[in-house]
Amino acid sequence: MIDVKHLSKSFGDHLVLDDIDQHIYPGEKVVIIGPSGSGKSTFLRCLNLLEVPSAGTITFEGQEITSPKADIDKIRQQMGMVFQHFNLFNNMTIRRNITLAPVRTKLMSQAEADNAAAALLKRVGLEDKADAYPAQLSGGQKQRIAIVRALAMRPKVMLFDEPTSALDPEMVGEVLDVMKELADEGMTMVVVTHEMGFAREVGDRVLFMAEGKILEEGPPADLFGHPKNPRLQDFLSKVL
Amino acid sequence: MFQALMDWLDRLGPRLYAAFLEGDRWRLYLEGLLTTLELTVVALIVGVVLGVLVAVIRTAHDQQRPGRRKNPLLGFCNGVCKVYTTVIRGTPMLVQILIWGFVIFASSRNKFMVGVVALGINSGAYVAEIVRGGLMSVDVGQSEAGRSLGLGYLDTMRFIIIPQAFKNILPSLGNEFITLFKDTSLVNTIGLTELTYRASRIAGTTFDYMPPYIGIAIMYLVVVIILTWLQGKLERRLRQSDRR
Repeated sequence: MIDVKHLSKSFGDHLVLDDIDQHIYPGEKVVIIGPSGSGKSTFLRCLNLLEVPSAGTITFEGQEITSPKADIDKIRQQMGMVFQHFNLFNNMTIRRNITLAPVRTKLMSQAEADNAAAALLKRVGLEDKADAYPAQLSGGQKQRIAIVRALAMRPKVMLFDEPTSALDPEMVGEVLDVMKELADEGMTMVVVTHEMGFAREVGDRVLFMAEGKILEEGPPADLFGHPKNPRLQDFLSKVL
Repeated sequence: MFQALMDWLDRLGPRLYAAFLEGDRWRLYLEGLLTTLELTVVALIVGVVLGVLVAVIRTAHDQQRPGRRKNPLLGFCNGVCKVYTTVIRGTPMLVQILIWGFVIFASSRNKFMVGVVALGINSGAYVAEIVRGGLMSVDVGQSEAGRSLGLGYLDTMRFIIIPQAFKNILPSLGNEFITLFKDTSLVNTIGLTELTYRASRIAGTTFDYMPPYIGIAIMYLVVVIILTWLQGKLERRLRQSDRR
């Protein structure tokens, strides 16, 4: 579904991603773990071109998105993204947060989008918040809204950039529950996270990144049970 | 000394009468003040439109993704905008007004239009910097979220960034309005019949300069005090909506 070849990214002299090859299959749940500064967020942001790679190609469903001719807005409509800091639009109600993109990109009429928003809000138990503003919500509520805002575009893949890192501990669970539900429905997901429990439970495949490289990858049972790379062993001994 | 003061006070009544009441002169001041206010409002509208345009072009240019081919049209527009702000902010306003009035529109009889052009174009350069600061003050995550949903640059600006920036720049825009209001007095040099022009004509007729000039200074001050008060009220209202 997403094919990454020889992906490199540097900020100035600093090489953040070093020649990464990776393939993400439809329906797969890929979890990326690693120490901070390892390039995992940058890798995720390259997948929808929020960061422009310095070298290499990324192909999404046969379309090379790194080509200058690619219509990046069209491609992003099919890739949902959830941010660490939620990034809900502060100047709009929750309903408008959810319906703005589907309506403006002509995916839905306003009425269709309103219905879709109501259904999505119901699904995450926030149907009474449709007319609230983001400032009135808790962090966990904001992140659940951010997830359904992305889902309103009916994306083919969802990218999660540390979705629970900015949350108070008691709110992490409600967000992870929504993500698990989404995983059970068969959504293709790429998740950067520090939640090892989630990685173990939901991930089909875990990637361990450090210093801009994928040092080890495999099913969570292998990666957590029998880590081979010394960096990974060291990392796991600190976080588990 | 005391006698001199008494004499001065004694003459003050007739002088004030000559400056403000004789021949219904107060109406000239009032008309002048209305022209001044009108000029300020129209020039500010021109300034805001120009300023937003320049700010959006300059921000769009600066936010182009590095490493990709730059848009040549945008580069050209950005260059024009840069020259515009540099020239306008780098030359005295009075000189600009004289150039508009006596060089570019030397034969125009519509002084009000010349005044609007001179002040509006001047104000636009300053408003552009205010708006640019406002656009940059909006968290980059807001535009990333918009773009990640597949919204284009213009839609993201229009629905997400500009409305949020507008709230941040309203206080500065209020200051610009007050500055512009006072600066309109400079266009009396091209014969636009605003408040200062009226005062100088009356002073020239009565050969008495003190009452008209002190008088209009008080008028300007009162209007500025009212505007400042309104601005404070507006800011308090805006802050309230943040505190939910």
